[in-house]
Amino acid sequence: MHSALLIARREYLERVRSKAFRISTVLIPLIFAGIFGVGAFSATHLGGDAHIVVASNDAQLADGVRDELARGENPPSQLEVVAPATQADIVSLVQRVDSKEIDAYLWMQVSPGEPQPSVVYATRSSTDLNADRIRDAVSHALLRGRLQERGMPAPEVSKLLKAIDIQRLQVKNGGTVSSNGQQSFWAPYGMMFLLYFSVSFYGLNVGRSVVEEKTSRIFEVLLSSVKAESLMIGKLLGVGAAALTQLGIWFALVAFYAGSQMAAKAGIHGVASLGIQPIQVVFFLIYFVLGFLFYSSLSAGLGATMSTEQEMNQFQVLIMLPLILAFTLFSYVLGNPSSALSVGLSLFPPCTPLIMCLRMGVQMPPLWQLVLSVALMIIAIYAVLWIASRIYRIGILMYGKRPNLPEMLRWMRYS
Amino acid sequence: MSSTATEPVVYTPSSASPASIVEVDRVSKAYGKKIAVNELSLSIEAGSMFGLLGPNGAGKTSTIRMIVGITMPDSGQIRLFGKPFSRDQLTRVGYLPEERGLYKKMNVLDQLIFMGEIRGLAASVARTRAQNWCERLSIADVMEKKTEELSKGMQQKIQFISTLLHDPDFLIMDEPFSGLDPVNAVLLQDTLLDLRKEGKAILFSTHRMDQVEKLCDSICLVHGGKAVLHGRMRDVKGRYPRNRMLLDFHGDAAFLADPLVTTSADEVRNFGNHAELKLNAGADPQALLRHFMQSTQVYRYELVEPSLEEIFIQTVGGKSDA
Repeated sequence: MHSALLIARREYLERVRSKAFRISTVLIPLIFAGIFGVGAFSATHLGGDAHIVVASNDAQLADGVRDELARGENPPSQLEVVAPATQADIVSLVQRVDSKEIDAYLWMQVSPGEPQPSVVYATRSSTDLNADRIRDAVSHALLRGRLQERGMPAPEVSKLLKAIDIQRLQVKNGGTVSSNGQQSFWAPYGMMFLLYFSVSFYGLNVGRSVVEEKTSRIFEVLLSSVKAESLMIGKLLGVGAAALTQLGIWFALVAFYAGSQMAAKAGIHGVASLGIQPIQVVFFLIYFVLGFLFYSSLSAGLGATMSTEQEMNQFQVLIMLPLILAFTLFSYVLGNPSSALSVGLSLFPPCTPLIMCLRMGVQMPPLWQLVLSVALMIIAIYAVLWIASRIYRIGILMYGKRPNLPEMLRWMRYS
Repeated sequence: MSSTATEPVVYTPSSASPASIVEVDRVSKAYGKKIAVNELSLSIEAGSMFGLLGPNGAGKTSTIRMIVGITMPDSGQIRLFGKPFSRDQLTRVGYLPEERGLYKKMNVLDQLIFMGEIRGLAASVARTRAQNWCERLSIADVMEKKTEELSKGMQQKIQFISTLLHDPDFLIMDEPFSGLDPVNAVLLQDTLLDLRKEGKAILFSTHRMDQVEKLCDSICLVHGGKAVLHGRMRDVKGRYPRNRMLLDFHGDAAFLADPLVTTSADEVRNFGNHAELKLNAGADPQALLRHFMQSTQVYRYELVEPSLEEIFIQTVGGKSDA
């Protein structure tokens, strides 16, 4: 055990002292912030710096719709009214859009006897405003006008038309607990992405470093002092500890940011308001450790059978398949966290970490499923370690030709 | 091929002296259908240098791997320091494999301290010893450098130091001088001779017969997993007649074509100012010397037993895949 710890310490220090560790510790949160920033921006940014013309044959309606659009989140930067507009105005609006002078126009034609105006929204390419936003603006403007016509005071109308807050609850164990619903989308997505990245990056790193040490022929020296099992366990522990250090730094950064003045301005007050519960962090770490042990021991076993890094790169995608599968299913799992497929995959050890992380983000799975998933993973890790360490023991001393399956089975019998 | 040379010299454990540091007793190892080591026995005493020789694939590395516990024998026994093999004894063994390996990204001093620690040294002791050895082998100025920045020869020295750091009583050196320039080869050779004087047992595995001849007290020639020649260097060579003639001369080499020479020698190799003759049973060395002195200016005339290289080639024959 002592020698395994010495190996672990060396592996750990080599990694955390490396330039790659420092760069990735800084760069990856920036890339994340970039990805989520763009995602969040495109999801919320409906108007932005768009220049939109609101036109109608009814000037009162045009003004009303302009006010409604200006009232919402991220209103278009320029809202121009053309009213009362004629068909000739429409022709000129089409030209203005075409010549890029304006981004879009909204044309509402009120016909006598018709309760609702006919609405046209025209842009060059994609829409700047989505249909819900336009529909809300038009119907609110109509409603506001009609209510005021019937004598309701303006402040009262505003109160009536104010957007309604919806409190989302989750029914659980005969009671209700608050649920983040759609808001929680980014938190589980972010955590799953982090888990995917760290498990695959550090897991495969183990395999690559086995191949590297194999090509540098260092095993022969080490094996005359240390048992192959200690070497492998030491490597897993050392690399795992380096990964946990990096995750720890990132969590600390997120917690620090979430509690800061800057975040408060963006409406974030503490980690909880990001939709991350402490229990999720705990399970995230548990699933990271389990996922890492599972994939890194697979990768160590695979690495021991390879002679060059190029070979390793070709084969490691095989190990990655379950992770990739889990990754591609994320929107399905977010939408159906308790379906049979989601539950089944979350109990299938190679997929457990990612799928459970997603499920937890939307809706906390029952305790028995959490416990069962951890138990199944421990059994799977034990089996993988058993096989991998046997292949490893022989493989690290074999150079040249890659072994075929019968040869690998024979290796397991040798040891 | 003489019958003396091919007859295996069988070692029996009872003949091992009490000071045997390592005893390999009828050890066999097979990988699948391939028998790597077949009933091999050898013994190495304290304060001696032992040459393990053989063509590539003869079973040298397989034997060494069993001695250091990387693999286990299928049958037979290995005894270290008078006791059956156990891993604890490996802290008294230093192994320099032919396939050398160092952590490329680690700096030299850290690397040496790490190697010392996994062999049971305290970090502080390992540090002091590493510094002393680096000074002794004149590489103190590279201790803070990363291994990958160093030349092959330097890396070789670092590997050499890492083998000695824990002051082992038994050293295994597989091709220790390969890749070294002559100055450094002599430096390491002298270090090994000093260690032998201190009473260490050294197992020396190489293809360089001249080095073995110069350095080793005993040898074992392995071929096809079996020991085909085993014993003290003096005894091994004493089994062969002094029928090699070495001649250094100046002038025309036409005298080598004289019937007296061609009828006395089975083989004449002319290198210009140096010739080597393999004499047959009927040759008269004195008559040949007289002939040479009349024909040319002789600087050196020596009648010797065959070199280890010749014995090696004769014993292994054309069967080597080296």
